[in-house]
Amino acid sequence: MMEKFKEWYEQRHAYAKEWKKKTGGKVVGYFCTYVPEEILYAADVLPVRILGSHEPQDVTEPHIFGMFCPFCRDCLAQGLQGRYDYLDGVMIAQSCLHIRQAYTSWKMHIPVDFSYYLPMPNNVQSKRALPYLTGELETFKEAVEKWTGKKISDEDLNKGIEAMNTSRQLTRDLYELRKQDNPPLTGLEAMYAVVASQMVDKRDYNAALQEILQKLPQRQIENGSKVRLMILGSENDDTEFVDMVESLGAMLVVDDHCTGSRYFWNQVNTNGNLLEAIASRYVERVPCPSKDWPERTRIEHILKLAKDWNVQGAIVIQQKFCDPHEIDIPSIIESLKSNGVPAQFLELDVTVPVGQFKTRVEAFLEMLSEEDLF
Amino acid sequence: MEKEYWRWPESKWTSSDIDWKDGDIISAGVDVGSVSSQAVVLIDGKLYSYSNFRTGSDSPESAQKVMDKAMEETGLSQDKIHYTVGTGYGRVNVPFAKRAITEIACHARGANFMYGPTVKTILDMGGQDCKAIHCDEKGKVTNFLMNDKCAAGTGRGMEVFADLLSVPIEDMGRLSFEVDEEPEPVSSTCVIFAKSEAVGLLRKGWAKEKVLAAYSSAMAHRVVELLERIKVEKDFAITGGIAKNEGVVKRIEAELKIKALEAKHDTQIAGALGGALFAKALIEKERGLR
Repeated sequence: MMEKFKEWYEQRHAYAKEWKKKTGGKVVGYFCTYVPEEILYAADVLPVRILGSHEPQDVTEPHIFGMFCPFCRDCLAQGLQGRYDYLDGVMIAQSCLHIRQAYTSWKMHIPVDFSYYLPMPNNVQSKRALPYLTGELETFKEAVEKWTGKKISDEDLNKGIEAMNTSRQLTRDLYELRKQDNPPLTGLEAMYAVVASQMVDKRDYNAALQEILQKLPQRQIENGSKVRLMILGSENDDTEFVDMVESLGAMLVVDDHCTGSRYFWNQVNTNGNLLEAIASRYVERVPCPSKDWPERTRIEHILKLAKDWNVQGAIVIQQKFCDPHEIDIPSIIESLKSNGVPAQFLELDVTVPVGQFKTRVEAFLEMLSEEDLF
Repeated sequence: MEKEYWRWPESKWTSSDIDWKDGDIISAGVDVGSVSSQAVVLIDGKLYSYSNFRTGSDSPESAQKVMDKAMEETGLSQDKIHYTVGTGYGRVNVPFAKRAITEIACHARGANFMYGPTVKTILDMGGQDCKAIHCDEKGKVTNFLMNDKCAAGTGRGMEVFADLLSVPIEDMGRLSFEVDEEPEPVSSTCVIFAKSEAVGLLRKGWAKEKVLAAYSSAMAHRVVELLERIKVEKDFAITGGIAKNEGVVKRIEAELKIKALEAKHDTQIAGALGGALFAKALIEKERGLR
């Protein structure tokens, strides 16, 4: 029932090429979920998120500092290896230096027609963030108009917002089903769905998900007495890892990842100026830790997810060398623990040491259950 | 043949006061680690026999051999054992085990038996990894940390140094104290880099004892860092092969200012022992006794 998302995830390049052929439209690869896809949809441009392929590679060493994260390396490798050769443009919204380096190297070494750096403010907690970003979105909109040669009207913007908001609402409906004692979908399937939504036309995704949501409540999958886990941390689309965790008697029921719930949690509320409405969504969304300062607002959010989805434990996983996450993780783990949610910390590399991670996850699950052996 | 300095003495022990024939529950644990394999047999929850030796390239074969060795000269045979739990890296490759449980859970349970219920922090210094474990008074894990991908601070590193310095592995601890004053630790704990560094020190004229002291204290530093991340609670015990190396143990104790508990049996068997204790619980469950 959910195979479509896996297929899109695995065939991301074939999908985008096919989309171009079918529509004659332009495709922009983006590096961070702070990119306002609404404006690209308004211009009939397809935004696709650039993600890695989790394979060892030897092409990025001259371009990326040794202590930058494996994710930015893996993303850049895809470009250098020519896998995104169909892109008409690349863009990023400021989040962290590591991924920005992947973007700047890409721009330097892989010729594209259009590139854009959107200076998304880091201090989203300042009241000046909203007017600042609104102004930047105005400039960005003009750049897109200049590139495509077509004005973006309010009607176009509404169309873009509509595609994004529908997709967000539907994905939240999907996550709602995971609150059940016996969820009708696995954590791996949910991951495929969200990541696929970052790679395909939202209208295709929405249609597919709408249909699935009709049937899903009747679906029964054997979850037995699986341990309910939450997974949170930095970018994570490591399906092999998630599959391994779920094969050990656990079930992932909710997450806080930019490849998961952080991506679709908040909606654009269309009142008044549309660009301001869009800006407001990105300023107020569940933040990436690079923007969650000086208040750590994410912790409250994570604790609420843990409670509402009734989790027994949490896997805290981050990309190696990801400084923003590294700084947050001790307080997140501490807060989870003091709220009765034990946590296990793991560090992702381009490829994961599945053997060692398996031992750790298994031991963590044994810690959360197996009462009858003592 | 050249002397194999790294070769550690393999062990074999059988209780003289227990007759397995009187046993109601015969349980076993087999720990196939990356470097050594261990088997433990319990009769009604009492330690009856154990053995250990070096893991070969074939995990199922190592499991069988170490199990056979534990039963050697006892008249006990595989079919008499009611339940076997497999643990360690090769836990799923123990053909006669009914269930696999991680070495983390097994080490905590085994240490609880070996050192008593007051043990709260366990440092398992294994062949190729290191684990700091917290457990409750029943030996159930409450928290743990494992070193990352590299083999620094593990038994394999010590074996490499035994060969490099031509010192039998069981003499390394003692010799590491035969220095006038404690040298700076080697700066690298990566086994390969530390070896290169040691070669340099030897070339500079350092005595092997001094090099050993520098390596042992680097190893102690490395595991103390791990322990400090998890915080040491009394009582504290060390399991695994390195627990037999006083050069490392005493340096860890000095840094932590806590003495590690002493074991009556081979510290390498903790994992297999925990497995055998879980096996006993699983038989009782099968028989409706719990």
